[in-house]
Amino acid sequence: MSEAQGLHTKEFTLNVGPHHPSTHGVCRFVLQMEGEVITSVTPVIGYLHRALEKICENRTYEQIIPITDRFEYCTAMSCNMGFSLATEKLAGLEVPERAEYLRVIMLELNRIASHLIWFGTTSLDLGAITPFLYGFREREDILDMFEMTCGQRLTFNYIRPGGVSKDIPKAFIPVCKKFLDAFSAKVDDYERVLTENPIFIARNKDVGILKPETAIAYSVSGPSLRASGVKYDLRRDDPYSIYDRFDFEIPTRENGDCYDRYIVRIREMRESAKIVRQAIEQIPEGPIRSKVKMNFKPPAGEVYCRVENSRGEMGFYIQSVGEKMPLRVKMRGGSYNQLQVMPVLCVGHKIADLVAIMASMDIIMPDVDR
Amino acid sequence: MERNQLVSYIKNKFQDTVTLLESGKGESFFQIKPEDLLVFSRAIRDDERLGMDWLSCISGVDTGERFEVVYSVASVVNRIRFNYKLVLDYDKAEIESVQKIWPGANWHERELWELYGINVNNHGNLTRFLLPDNWDQGHPLRKDWDAPDFKRMPEK
Amino acid sequence: MEITEIFKYLYEQLAASGLPQVWVDIVALACAGVIVFGFLAVVALFLVWWERKVSAHIQQRFGPMRTGWHGWRQTIADAIKLLQKEDIIPTLADRPVFFWAPVIAFVAAFMAYITIPFGDGLIVADLNIGILFIVAITSFTVISLLMAGWGSNNKYALLGGMRSAAQVVSYEVPMVVAICSIVLFAGSLSMVDIVQSQAMIYQWYLFRLPFGPIAFIIYIIAGTAETNRTPFDLPEAEQELVAGFNIEYSGMKFAMFFLAEFINMFTVSAIGTTLFLGGWQGPFLPSWMWFLGKTLFLVFVLMWFRWTYPRLRVDQLMEFSWKFLLPISFANLILAGLMKYSGWFNW
Repeated sequence: MSEAQGLHTKEFTLNVGPHHPSTHGVCRFVLQMEGEVITSVTPVIGYLHRALEKICENRTYEQIIPITDRFEYCTAMSCNMGFSLATEKLAGLEVPERAEYLRVIMLELNRIASHLIWFGTTSLDLGAITPFLYGFREREDILDMFEMTCGQRLTFNYIRPGGVSKDIPKAFIPVCKKFLDAFSAKVDDYERVLTENPIFIARNKDVGILKPETAIAYSVSGPSLRASGVKYDLRRDDPYSIYDRFDFEIPTRENGDCYDRYIVRIREMRESAKIVRQAIEQIPEGPIRSKVKMNFKPPAGEVYCRVENSRGEMGFYIQSVGEKMPLRVKMRGGSYNQLQVMPVLCVGHKIADLVAIMASMDIIMPDVDR
Repeated sequence: MERNQLVSYIKNKFQDTVTLLESGKGESFFQIKPEDLLVFSRAIRDDERLGMDWLSCISGVDTGERFEVVYSVASVVNRIRFNYKLVLDYDKAEIESVQKIWPGANWHERELWELYGINVNNHGNLTRFLLPDNWDQGHPLRKDWDAPDFKRMPEK
Repeated sequence: MEITEIFKYLYEQLAASGLPQVWVDIVALACAGVIVFGFLAVVALFLVWWERKVSAHIQQRFGPMRTGWHGWRQTIADAIKLLQKEDIIPTLADRPVFFWAPVIAFVAAFMAYITIPFGDGLIVADLNIGILFIVAITSFTVISLLMAGWGSNNKYALLGGMRSAAQVVSYEVPMVVAICSIVLFAGSLSMVDIVQSQAMIYQWYLFRLPFGPIAFIIYIIAGTAETNRTPFDLPEAEQELVAGFNIEYSGMKFAMFFLAEFINMFTVSAIGTTLFLGGWQGPFLPSWMWFLGKTLFLVFVLMWFRWTYPRLRVDQLMEFSWKFLLPISFANLILAGLMKYSGWFNW
């Protein structure tokens, strides 16, 4: 009909990013659009590439810790942790009991802080601006606790090979308890704003369905994987540190759509709060760091170590040749694989769904570009 | 499966293909020949007791004498993991793509190609992505790579 | 009351000065126009400030606090800043279309106020087709958005313009049908007549069960969509289309869109007040205060929506209008007709 009248519809290319409000950093998508419908997605990355891996080859192990902070700044604690864990395995370092507890407290608080960023940006990406500020309000409390402990709010340099850098101050535990007591009610608040909201449900239900087999094939990890019904959490299934001592659930959902990813993350915040509460109750007295030589030289060897951070599997491959600097440090962030699977999820959806899917996968760019 | 069991199982099952490396610290590292890569990868994924359906990471290493490519694989079903590596000479730096086995390998292999110059056969999309599109200064993660603004720490 | 007296006195003075009657009317209308324009400019500035304060308090922060008492001078400063800004026109833009789009948006937003009764007797022209005139004139906004989208020569702007055209046209229909049910009951299209038909509070169309509240809800939803506000702010969806149709606008042109949007919000609330909340009528206080109070309350409700809800997707938006609002509004119109015919609740 339209052909006969000489009118044609044409696919057009839409460039989203790199400085687009909802690409969480500087990610770029080249979209082929048919009206509002996406027919193909090409992620373009590298705008945040800081050559961290190359820099690491030129630093001692202790100097690499602050670099790992920059690897994924939303959960810098887990980056510290992953690298320290790998180094400890490589060098055969012991970690004192108290340090293990401190690590778990910080890691889980950091997980909550990161999920709060995700909560804020997700609601923002769907057009609800208010929950964004609610999420950041609680995150601020957590950052205050970090500042109290290590003097930093974003890049902590806290977890070091062999322990942690500083003990928590006396005021920490009361502040933390107060936060945890209030936190559950705050999460209820968040849920009241979004979880039952019909518009929110309409925007998220059955959008961007990630099938479990696709998720595994693309190594999508973390909450995004668990929302597809795969109960795979490295804290349980590849245990590290002292996570086996705590009682916590691993939330999963069946459908793998954006809404399920939302629910899983919300419930994960509650579980993390539970872990922190148990940890501050059980924490023993004692040293916080085993004796580690300055510029220690781990024996030649290699190790691949992974931890579960808020975006999924964070892995560190280190190869040492017995020098004080590693031969190679490879960092693997959760978002790297999550972003890879985006084209699979987005094709056939509308441009508004691209934003919703990206938000629900919790992709941020620093651990993609490194 | 315990780690010892895992190691002996793999050693038995793939006698001709793998050698266990001593370098792994608390981790299992195997070495395989580059030409066995596809067969081995497919075999460990399809094996009942291994079921390595999860590719964590592909790391390239330039030791100064040769390339190594380390595949870190895991199994979601069986909760196990191990690593295996290929050793490549500089002049024969090419591997087969494992995308058919683990589609998520795509970007990891692209990164190998881009930062190390290791050619990945049958990849299908070897284009620049971490480095600028007009990059022409070689492969930055190689040990012999030097840029004007890149300073090595002085050796004491 | 006093304001009307003053106007009457001035008009009589003017008429007594010996000018021909035509000129007297022209001068009087021009003065009225200037007054309305000035009033609306102030209202728009006030609403920008108020929106910022409302949003801030909903979000547990303070909003502007530095410029004057609770930052009341903030929007004035912003407006002055925008006036001084360089006016950027993209090289590949369709210049005339790009230029006229904000003007049309601005003019369309102001024209509606010709027939809105701000108080008892405070109306520029009581047209006997008042509400029809308003509905017609506010539809001009679509044209301006479409022009802005097209003229910018930007894909985001084009998508935004297309979305807004589709959206405003779709929501116009249930809105007009909802208004029709009121007109049916009032028996007149004149705004003044409609207000006078709801003299007592139980006569407000909002409280005329069952059709009144339904019509009101439909009107408010459609009105939110007409003014492109969350949850229907798809044309400028910041997170998808960056800023939609006004992505390429800067300086005063942007400010015109911005102020027009706030004036449209005030328009929607003012019409809502006139049609459903008894217009200027109320005890004790002067009529214009009642009108302003009721209107600002509706404005607050619209702001409340905006800072609470997420945004709909474009197809859901269309479905909501055509599959849900429109059938309900037609059913409601039939209901209102039956009520009118049978004389039930004919207070």
